[in-house]
Amino acid sequence: MSALWVWGFCRIGLAFLLSFASLAGAASAPHSALKPVERRQVNLPTADFSLTDQGGKIFQFKNLRGKVVVVAFAYTTCPDVCPLITAALRQVQSKLTVEERKNIHLLTVTTDPEIDLPKVLTGYAKRYGAGLDNWSFLTGSETALKSVWQNFGVGVKRQGRGLVDHTPLTAIVDRHGMLRVAFIGSSPDVPAILNDIRSLLAER
Amino acid sequence: MHSFRVLRLCAVKRLSVHCGLVLIVLLAGCGRNERMDTVYTQRCLNCHGVSGRGDGPMAASLPVAPPDFRQTVEKKGNPQIRRLIADGKGLMPAFEPALSASEINDMLQMVRFLSREGRQISWWEKFDALVVAHCSIPWEAVLGYDEPSAEKKL
Repeated sequence: MSALWVWGFCRIGLAFLLSFASLAGAASAPHSALKPVERRQVNLPTADFSLTDQGGKIFQFKNLRGKVVVVAFAYTTCPDVCPLITAALRQVQSKLTVEERKNIHLLTVTTDPEIDLPKVLTGYAKRYGAGLDNWSFLTGSETALKSVWQNFGVGVKRQGRGLVDHTPLTAIVDRHGMLRVAFIGSSPDVPAILNDIRSLLAER
Repeated sequence: MHSFRVLRLCAVKRLSVHCGLVLIVLLAGCGRNERMDTVYTQRCLNCHGVSGRGDGPMAASLPVAPPDFRQTVEKKGNPQIRRLIADGKGLMPAFEPALSASEINDMLQMVRFLSREGRQISWWEKFDALVVAHCSIPWEAVLGYDEPSAEKKL
């Protein structure tokens, strides 16, 4: 029971922390000059989830245990910061060695399931030249996604068809499923992400 | 003979009324309107800027500067621009999954409109504006039937 309480407090804390940040740097806020990216070190557990990947297959988060996971939240028709986040992840992926690619997985979780069907995500991945061996683009039902957004403390607010305000979060989860680093902002610093994932990779 | 002349006169009258109406609708549709402004503000302004000069609030953060419409749009045909909006390019999103054909057309018109600001436009560009405006008329409302392309899109 006490463990549940601790878990509950952790999630509330994370949600508060990130939602507060989201007010300052929400994606899709029109005409907003870009705020600098904020890097926060945290140590919070993440819950397992099940979504659908770009190929229409079921994706289970717990299957990535033992790997360092970079989780970004974006949507394909975003006219704001999401393209910068995805481009940053593409750069991260291109800088990984063959050995590192086996132990690091990238995830892009949509914040707009209405538009981002697996087919749309496939086109998006292709446009960015994403290697799908260690990068999955995830969608799912609104309910399934809501619990993932809440789990990572991402605020999502639909403004219209293909227009969504959301916390621009790029999170790094360690081998044990603990959320360790949160980048909140438009374009996470590629060397900083690489540095963080390599140091988490070195941990046992 | 007399009845034939009356019929012909009626046909000419009807035709001229139709032509007049079409011309009014075409000219009315050539300017900038609220729909165009809304779609541009929501989806394009952040990078392309208020005047389409590639100086939006996000432009400085992009790896490649967005184009100045006044220098690039003139050389492109409408189908080409429509395709760019629908499929995206570089970091520009593919808007087709989120926008209707008429919204993409509004975006195209706005891009054309901004590209003409502050420069001399040739006769064919004026003609082109008429063609684009013609395409964006809600014909189903004007004529009372559904436009085939709109139906297909749905």
